[in-house]
Amino acid sequence: MSIDALRAIQSLLPDAEIVQSDAPTDDSYAGAYSEAPHIASADLLEGQRLRAHIIEGDPEIRFAGFLDGVQRAKILCHRRGVPIIDGSVAAAIRIRVDRRYVTWGGSAPIISRRLYMPLALLGCEGRTEIEGIEIADTSYNVRTKELVSRHPAALRAVALERVGRDREDAERSLAEAWCVDDAEPLFVDGGISGSPRIAASHCAIGVIKSHQTLFADGDALDVVMSLKCGERSSVFAPPSHMRSPVASWYLRLRDPRGHDAMFGLVRIEVTMGHDLAARANEVSRWVLAESSPVALPDSRWDRMAYGIRDCEQFLRSIA
Amino acid sequence: MRMALGRVVATERRPNTPHEFHFWTALDSPVGIGTIVRVDGNRPVDGRIPHIYGVVTEGLSYTDLLTPMHDVLSHDGSPERAGFASAERAEIRLYSAAVLRQVPEEPLQPVPMGDVFLAQEEDVNVALRMDGYLHDGSNTGIPIGVYRAGGTDATIYLDADFLVGPEAAHLNITGVSGLATKTSAVEWLLASLFAHFPESRGSIAAVCFNVKGPDLCFLDLPGKLDDSDRALYEKMDVPARPFENVNYFAPYAARGYALNTLRSNEALAHNVTPLTWGLREVLQYAEVLLNRDDIDAKADALIDFITRSVIDQPFTDAMLTRSHVVQSFADLEDWFKDVLRGLENGNKESWRTHHVATIRKVRNRLSNISVRCAGLVTDSGPVSDLPFGEFEDRATYVVDVANLEEDAQDLIFARIVSKLREHLERRDLGVKHVVVFVDELNKYAPSDGPDTYVRKMLLDIAERGRYLGLVLFSAQQFRSQVHKRVVGNSGTSVFGRMDADELAAPGYAVLSPATRTKLATLEKGQLMIRHPHFTQPIFVRFPRPAVMTGRMGAEQFPQGGEVSLETAVYRSLRAQDSSVTMQAVEDAIGLHDEGDVLRALTLTLKERSGDAMATFRSRLPRRVTQSLKPRPQTAVLRGTPGDDPYGI
Repeated sequence: MSIDALRAIQSLLPDAEIVQSDAPTDDSYAGAYSEAPHIASADLLEGQRLRAHIIEGDPEIRFAGFLDGVQRAKILCHRRGVPIIDGSVAAAIRIRVDRRYVTWGGSAPIISRRLYMPLALLGCEGRTEIEGIEIADTSYNVRTKELVSRHPAALRAVALERVGRDREDAERSLAEAWCVDDAEPLFVDGGISGSPRIAASHCAIGVIKSHQTLFADGDALDVVMSLKCGERSSVFAPPSHMRSPVASWYLRLRDPRGHDAMFGLVRIEVTMGHDLAARANEVSRWVLAESSPVALPDSRWDRMAYGIRDCEQFLRSIA
Repeated sequence: MRMALGRVVATERRPNTPHEFHFWTALDSPVGIGTIVRVDGNRPVDGRIPHIYGVVTEGLSYTDLLTPMHDVLSHDGSPERAGFASAERAEIRLYSAAVLRQVPEEPLQPVPMGDVFLAQEEDVNVALRMDGYLHDGSNTGIPIGVYRAGGTDATIYLDADFLVGPEAAHLNITGVSGLATKTSAVEWLLASLFAHFPESRGSIAAVCFNVKGPDLCFLDLPGKLDDSDRALYEKMDVPARPFENVNYFAPYAARGYALNTLRSNEALAHNVTPLTWGLREVLQYAEVLLNRDDIDAKADALIDFITRSVIDQPFTDAMLTRSHVVQSFADLEDWFKDVLRGLENGNKESWRTHHVATIRKVRNRLSNISVRCAGLVTDSGPVSDLPFGEFEDRATYVVDVANLEEDAQDLIFARIVSKLREHLERRDLGVKHVVVFVDELNKYAPSDGPDTYVRKMLLDIAERGRYLGLVLFSAQQFRSQVHKRVVGNSGTSVFGRMDADELAAPGYAVLSPATRTKLATLEKGQLMIRHPHFTQPIFVRFPRPAVMTGRMGAEQFPQGGEVSLETAVYRSLRAQDSSVTMQAVEDAIGLHDEGDVLRALTLTLKERSGDAMATFRSRLPRRVTQSLKPRPQTAVLRGTPGDDPYGI
C-alpha cells in the first residue's frame, strides 16, 4: 500500500474510497495491454515462399547489452467507480562483464512513478501533480482523443495502456541512448519498430516472446508452427501501420516436442538492410547463444534470454 | 577513502538484531568466516552515526535457481556445456555476522542498514574492546596472535588482568593431538607473557608439568623458525628466542641411577635437578595415594596421629621395646613392627584407640608407597625439591613426570601445587604470580569418575587461584570431558584444530556451523580465542615457538642410557663443577653403599656449592678407619713327635 500516494489522493479527493486488496492490478512486464490473438499476413523479404532454414554454424555470444522494462500498476482507490491507479515503470540495460551482468553506465536506469487518473471525470482538470507525485491524465483515449467511457473497466484499461506506453517510452529512451553511444549489439526485449531511430539502428535486435499476432497465414503458418530447434523462418516485413519498417523472422530456440506449438518460439526484428538472409542467420546464431543459461525459474524460460531475466530481476529490486 | 566491501541487508524472514546482522559482498571480496567487519549506519542516532563491529560467523552462497534441476536443464545435462553458457547465473555471497560491539553502546538497537567495511587495525582494537587496556602507561596487553583478513594485520592482545588475575584468570586450550596446538600454543603464550607482563603487576614464573614424551624438555634450546614466524614475532614484539631461565626437575628412575626424564643427555644435565621426597613430604599428601576405600575415618585418624606425634620427634611408649625417631619410610616400618609386636605380645586388639586391623592396613598402604613411587620417594634419602621461596621472575620450572606411574604423577602434582599455594598465600614464593601448566586435563580433572584429590585441587585453583596469583594454564583434547567448573572458570579459552566428534558435543552449540567447520579444519598455527573482553570468538595466527621441539630435541640429544653409580654421580657433579673428575668420584665412592652415595649426591646438588667434589665427600658418611695393629705374639706350639699323636 502506497501510503504517501493515498495521503496525496485523500488530500485532493477526501471522498475517494480506498481499495484494500494488495494484489497488483497489473503485474506483467511486457505487453501490458493485450490484444486479441490474430493472424496477419506479411511481405516476404527472402525467397518466394516462407520456409524453414536451418541455422548453420555454432551459436555466437555477441550481445553486449540487454534492455528490458517493467511496469506495475495498482488501483489505490476509486471515486464513485472512477479508478485511481498508482503506476510505476522502470527500464534498464544490463551489460555483460566477465560473464556476469552489471548495469550499463552509459545511461542510468529509468524509474518513474505516476498516479494515473481521469482528471476530467474526477473534477480536477489541470492538475499535474499531488504533493510531489506526478499525475498522468487518462481522461482521453490516446488514439481517438475522445473522452473515455465512464465504464470503470474501460477507465482501467486506458490507464493500464498508459502505464504500458510509459514503460515503452522508458525502454525506447534507453535504446536510443545505446544506439548513439554504443555500436555493440543490444538485445531488446520486444520489438524495435516503435522508434524510427531504433528501427534504423544496426545494433538493436528486438526479440519478441509473445505472439498475439502471428505474421504467417496458410501454409506459412504451418511452416512456423513446425520449425524445429535451431531453425528459422524466411525473413519477412511485418505490416508497419504506424510503426517503422523492420525485417523479421521466427526462430525456434528449443525443441518443441512434448510442448505446445509456441514453445521456444521467438520473433526477431532487425533493421532493414541488404542480404537479410545472411543477417538473419547471423543474428539467429547470437540469439541461440543466449538460450543458455536457461532463464528458469521464469515461466517464460523457453523463450526468455537469461540476460533479460537478469534485467527484470534487477528492475524488480530497484523499482 | 576506504571502499565498502558489502551492504547490510535484512528481510522479514532474516532480520537484523542487536546481536546479529547480515550483509552481502562482491563475489571476490576477501571476507570469510572469522573476518571482522565494520558497519557504518546510514543515519545518525542521537546525533551520532552508529558504528557496528561484527565478526563473520556464517556464509551462504546461492544463485537464482529454484532447484538444481534447472541447472541440469540449462546445460542439457552435460557439465561440459556449462562453460559455453553466455553468462554466469546471478550469485550472492551472503554473510551473517555476530555483533562484537556497537558504538555508541546505548541505545542498543538492531543493526541498521549501511555500508560494510573490512575492519582495519584500529577498528579491531575497538571491536574487541582492546582500546580499554592498551593505553600508554597502563598497557596490560599480552599478544596472543595476529588477526589477518584482507590486507589487515592486527595484533590481538589478551588483558593480563583477565589472564593472570585478579579480574579473571586461567587459560584452557583444546585441540587434537599432534597438530602443534596445545604445547606450541602454551610455549608461545608463555614467551609472550614473559615478554609483555607489565612490571607494575609484579613478577611471574611458570611451573610446567611435562606429562608426555619430550614435549617440554628442550625449552631452553633454539628451535627452527621461518621468515613468516619471525615476522609474527616482530609484529607482536616478542623476542624470537628460547626461554632463558629454565630449570628441570625429574625423579630418579625406579631402578638405576639415571634421572627418569628424556632430558637425560649429559650435555643438558646442567639445569636438571633430581626430585626426591621423603616420608614427611609424602605423608602430608598420603590422601593422594590412598583410594577412598583405604581412607576411612579410622585410617585417617591413625595417619593423622603418625603425622602429628610420631614423625620427626622422639616417640616412646610403654608397649614399645625402644624409643623411635621416625624420619624415613624405613624408620616408619621399624616403628610399625614394634607397635604390632607389642600388641601381639600383650595380646591386645587396640593401641591408643587404634584397632590392630587399622594399624596393619595403614602400615600396608604406607609402606608400599616407596615402592609404588620408586625413584621419587626415598626410603631414607634426603629431600630435593623445587626452590620454593626462591622462585625467580620470568623463570620456568619444568617438572618431568612423563615416565612416572600414575600414582607418582598425582603425588607430584598435588604436592607441588599445594606448596605453591601455601607460599603464595604467605607471599614468600619469590614471585607474585605463578602459571601452572597442566596437559591432559581429561585425565586429571575428568567430568565424571571418582572425586580425586587432584581434581579437587584443580577445582580449587580454578575457582580461587586468581586471588592468590596461582594461574592454571590447562590443555586437553576433549574439553567436553573435563570438569565443567575447571573449564568454566578459565577466563580465556583457546581452541586449535578440533575433532568433529568433540565439536558435536552440546558445549559447542553456541558456535555457528561454519565456525565449527572452520575449527575442524584449522591449519597449524591458527587458534580461536575466547576472552572476557571479546564478545565473540576470534581467529588468530601465532608463530611457531622459538624453542626446540620435543621430537627434534630427542633426536639431537638422545636419552642417556643406564649408567653405573659412579658415572651418574660424575655427570651430576660435573654439571655443577667442571673440575670434577671421574677418578675423584670413584675414589670418593669407594666402598660406600648406594643409599649413602645417592643421599650425598642429592645434598651436594641441593647445596650448589663451588667445590662440588669437596661437598660430596663431606656428605658421605665417615668410614671407620681401622689401624692395623700388630697381632699379639702367640706362643709357638710345640711340634708333636711323629710317633706320639697325642703329644704326650
